[in-house]
Amino acid sequence: MRRVAASVVGALAIAPWTLAAQEVVVAFGAEPQQVDPTRSSAGVDGYYMDLFYESLLAVTPDFDRVNWLAESWQVVERDDGLAIAVTIREGVKFHNGDELTAGDFAYAFERLKDPVSRTAGRLRYVDGIRIHDDYRFDFVLNSPDGSLEALNLVLTAIPREYYEAVGDAGVQAHPIGTGPWKFVSRKPREELVVERFEDYWNRDAMPVAKRLRIKIIPEDTTRVAAFKTGAVDWIDAVPPAQVAEFEQLPGVAVASLPAPNNLFLSLNAIDPGSPFRFQKVRQAAAHAVDVDAIIRYILYGQGIRTAQLAPGTLGFDPELEPYRYDPDRARELLAEAGYPAGFNVPCYNLTTPREPYFKEVGETIYAYLTEVGIRCRIVQLEYGAWIAVGRRFSRPHMDGIWSTMWGQGLPGDPTDAWSGHVHTAGDGWGTYSYHSDARLDAMIEELRTTMERDQRVDLIRAIARLKHELVAGGLPTYRPMLTLAWRDHIDFQPWPGAFWRSMRGLKDASAATGDVSR
Amino acid sequence: MRGYVARRLLQGVVAIVGALLIVFVAQRLSGDPVALMLPMDAGEEEFAAMREALGLDKPLPMQFVIFLGHAVQGDFGDSYQWNAPAMRLLVDRLPATLELALAGLVFALLLAVPLGVVSAVHRGGIVDRAAKVFAMLGQAIPGFWIGLLLILFIAVELQWLPAFGRGGIGHLVLPAIALGWYPVAAMTRTLRSSMLDILDSDYVRMERAIGLPERWIVWRYALRNAMVPLATMIGVYFANMLGGAFVIEVVFAWPGIGRTVVDAVFARDFPVVQAGVVLAALVFVIVNLLVDLSYGFIDPRIRHG
Repeated sequence: MRRVAASVVGALAIAPWTLAAQEVVVAFGAEPQQVDPTRSSAGVDGYYMDLFYESLLAVTPDFDRVNWLAESWQVVERDDGLAIAVTIREGVKFHNGDELTAGDFAYAFERLKDPVSRTAGRLRYVDGIRIHDDYRFDFVLNSPDGSLEALNLVLTAIPREYYEAVGDAGVQAHPIGTGPWKFVSRKPREELVVERFEDYWNRDAMPVAKRLRIKIIPEDTTRVAAFKTGAVDWIDAVPPAQVAEFEQLPGVAVASLPAPNNLFLSLNAIDPGSPFRFQKVRQAAAHAVDVDAIIRYILYGQGIRTAQLAPGTLGFDPELEPYRYDPDRARELLAEAGYPAGFNVPCYNLTTPREPYFKEVGETIYAYLTEVGIRCRIVQLEYGAWIAVGRRFSRPHMDGIWSTMWGQGLPGDPTDAWSGHVHTAGDGWGTYSYHSDARLDAMIEELRTTMERDQRVDLIRAIARLKHELVAGGLPTYRPMLTLAWRDHIDFQPWPGAFWRSMRGLKDASAATGDVSR
Repeated sequence: MRGYVARRLLQGVVAIVGALLIVFVAQRLSGDPVALMLPMDAGEEEFAAMREALGLDKPLPMQFVIFLGHAVQGDFGDSYQWNAPAMRLLVDRLPATLELALAGLVFALLLAVPLGVVSAVHRGGIVDRAAKVFAMLGQAIPGFWIGLLLILFIAVELQWLPAFGRGGIGHLVLPAIALGWYPVAAMTRTLRSSMLDILDSDYVRMERAIGLPERWIVWRYALRNAMVPLATMIGVYFANMLGGAFVIEVVFAWPGIGRTVVDAVFARDFPVVQAGVVLAALVFVIVNLLVDLSYGFIDPRIRHG
């Protein structure tokens, strides 16, 4: 009886939300500080920016890279060297009514090149933007650059006049872009309200829902409760332990999607005293950890095992198999490398939430390693200390094993990440590398300046195979999954931008059909 | 009286500066905020440039003096994360935290005062023992756990109250319970024992002798006198709730100061942490002063000269 009473109360509580229909309420577990695409650094910044801003290229839900604000682009040979010639769409409007022109992209370039932008390094092979007319411009390159395409040609459309008029604080207070959602109001740590941009250029991607209210609910249990009580219609980051339960809930749609991070164990292979200088020791570590069991029992299946790259990533090689779990083989390899009794090693572990159950996964991995003789002394660190220890020039630096990750958007391209944690010096990106191998360095340098797609795929596969054999630049483990859930009266399609949170495919099915009787 | 207040305020300033100094040094020992602000691919030169831009390349004592110089003018610097003045970030959230702490305090008092009085009057009785168990539960169960249970049962299962966020009175109830249950035990026991003392005292016996109704004696005369030790506790717990509601704020997605400051600690957002410490210390000093002054109103024999 109480159940019946509860469900009646529940229905009453939920009714106003669906009747309001035009507003969809969403809950995110985390919130960005930045809403200026030329000042962002952290992945979480994309959560809001992708509502307001758009790039030259975009990636569809099927992982196809398509022209977005760019109508076309190609690599061309100009008199003064290599360039990427871009033609942008005509008639694209910013939320304030200004029309998008090539000058706005030149302005975005200037702002990104400013050292305070924090991502100036992405444009290290671009000398400048040469404007031909309102709709055509060139990226002037000082070298071929294989990464630009994977970064959607880097530049985001920002309205120059508005930015110059209101300044940095004004942009943060009221972001304006060309995207499908227009800023309405924001209360930090509480909510963001946006509404449909009626003059949005892309009629096919126009949201049907009129308003979107994004609530910030960091605690997993509370976010889940908010969804179950009907206070919100859509949530991100359903805890892995509850995914199976959510899949059974009536009237609820669930999508488990690859998160954009690739988790791996960084092994110090450069310090003279480190046992991981020896390939056999690194291979022993690779044989020692049962990653499949970790995915099954700790992550409730919410992970994708990787040998090097995850499916969908450029250059993914389905034939490359992970090292098989074989603790006896691991002990043999250790003995062959001259460590029959094993050795002690500091193992750095992140304790603050970053990926689901990251701390527990790290502890389990270190327990597996200890089991074969790679005896971990676990050092638990909060985020700031953890990220600092990994940088090679920081003191003290990472002198053992560091459970970490690399990410490069979705579907993903390993070029810059490998420059960072595989290449010896990394051309300014090598601050996390604990490996040094001349062959890999040369191949990565070639990859960085190869722009032709098929050649890139071949190179990535060759590097992955060699890297795998040497267990160089760390030991890949898995890619986590992110689970989203929404009430099925909302017609939602996850787009990979903003790590599946760009709300681009968000429609309210009941509003669309005029059915508000539910 | 005025001299007393001035002296106390001066002591307060010393306490605030002292707290600040500790936090200022401790957080700088905890590591480099620049490591968190720059992207994964930043190089050593970018680190140096950012440190210089933030003034973190200067010697520590100089940083502190510069900070104090600005702080006395009300400028606590801009948040590293939020592109906004640090103090404004916190002051904007102060009403939410005050509201929650007050609600928690009201909940605690609504329980502790009747329980304390009834326990004292019916010493050793069933109400006394039940009250003890109830109060101890609040002390024994961590607030976040109470919060999660309340969300699961009251919000999700019964759907009586909202699960999260700030809004009307309904939004306040669950977080107030989660926050306010903890001090109930201490408050009840303090009130109970001071009530017992007073109910045994000569003047209560006299009041009984002259035939005043028992209810009148208990609730009007004895309770008022028994409130003095409780007032001290109210001050301390209220100040703790203001500063320590962090976990409850996270559980209920409450947009308050606690969450902001603790996030700032993890992000090494020094200006926000510093502003938070000043604000918390200020509140602590003021609340304690008010509590001291309130003794005089509760018990006119206590007057500060």
